[in-house]
Amino acid sequence: MKRKPIEALNEKARAIERLAEGERQTAQALSIPRMPQGCNTIFDTGWETNPRPTYPIGNCQASARDFHGCVGDCWWPAQAPDGLTNHKDFDAACPNIARDWRKLKYD
Amino acid sequence: MRCTRFALLDACSRLRLLHAARSALLALVAGGLAFAASAQPRDYFYYLGYQMIQVVDGQTDSIVADVPLKGFVREVDLSADHRFLYVAASRHLIHKLDLDTHRIVSTIDLNRDGWEYFMYGFALDPDGRTAWGALISRSAKDGEPVIGAPVVAQFDLADGRILRRVEVPWGVGHLVRVKGGYLWAVGQDLFKIDTNSPEPRVVETHPMFEKGMNILPFWEYPWENGDQMVAAYYTPTAMGMLRIDQTSGEVREELFKGDPAMAYSVILSPDRKTGYAVMDDISVLDMDKRVVTNTVPLVEGTSYGVNISSDGRKLYVGAGGSTLTVYDAKSLRPLKVLHMATDGMDVRRITR
Repeated sequence: MKRKPIEALNEKARAIERLAEGERQTAQALSIPRMPQGCNTIFDTGWETNPRPTYPIGNCQASARDFHGCVGDCWWPAQAPDGLTNHKDFDAACPNIARDWRKLKYD
Repeated sequence: MRCTRFALLDACSRLRLLHAARSALLALVAGGLAFAASAQPRDYFYYLGYQMIQVVDGQTDSIVADVPLKGFVREVDLSADHRFLYVAASRHLIHKLDLDTHRIVSTIDLNRDGWEYFMYGFALDPDGRTAWGALISRSAKDGEPVIGAPVVAQFDLADGRILRRVEVPWGVGHLVRVKGGYLWAVGQDLFKIDTNSPEPRVVETHPMFEKGMNILPFWEYPWENGDQMVAAYYTPTAMGMLRIDQTSGEVREELFKGDPAMAYSVILSPDRKTGYAVMDDISVLDMDKRVVTNTVPLVEGTSYGVNISSDGRKLYVGAGGSTLTVYDAKSLRPLKVLHMATDGMDVRRITR
């Protein structure tokens, strides 16, 4: 008999196991590309990091000029307010980042 | 003496008369010219901002109107009669902007029945009453999130009600309207949608992903670029231009020689022989030889959008940050920097 790699030891863990009853392993997550909606048609981070060796190197210059483009519906949501779920009206409070950056009080 | 005086007076009168006649003629000519000038189509540039659109007069290069609205502006489309600009904001609102009064006259919301919609791609239908959007959606059932299939859907511009839809692969971010009732949906590949049948359907796929083509299909200027989509794409080694002709539906991939110019957006000169591409620089493109002929860093920094005056003499570069810089298209020297009220996403030209 094949030993289960992880065993539920308490009621909470057994409740979690019951939730998963009937589920089977699936490769769906890998077989169907559910690409996050972003700027690019290929989820290829770095596209916007201009690869040139001279000025302006790297990301957008100044970074404030690309801030709204990175909120919610585009790249790098971790560095910007979540504009699609938790801070949908972020743009109303900060329509001009270079002027309004002091109002950025988001997780 | 009297006679001489009389003769002089007569001559003066005649001179006065001639002068008055000349003045009247000049006034008439000036008035005529002014009328002709006012009747000439005039460029207006629409700066698509946050909670606001600002209008710039292309003759004076000054801001002539502020249009407050709700949300962050993304796609726009122009009504066939050029009287209204439909403005998609916050991925679910569509505002109708009256171009005569520069006021929002109506707004619809796609969110309804417990579903939130996010529209990436917007195109008016030729019927003038409906529009198409590439939509992804989410809802909740019994406390669990429910994700809808990505669709291209037709909705009513009067109330936002979805009328018809067709499922498309994930990743569609832009729609291009083509004459004859077709749409090209721009995603990892291009999907041609026939909207003529009662149920819209995908009838053709133009591969891009397997060719390593990566594209950022947010910025393109169909009516300014002669009824075609023009957008830069990138392979691991080169830049190209993807073109979709809105009349024939033809798709063209034009690979450029040499080092790629990094570009968010591309505008063409009136004769379509020269392209101007912007991101951190303005790059001048020879569209026939498919080479980059000049590159100048942008003085105000990274910009998303570029547009051009209808005579091809001035470029309008901006959005991203809160500036719009007017450049001489020939010398690429900045002529004027306009400080806008908000950051922006794009700048569009409407000539009317």
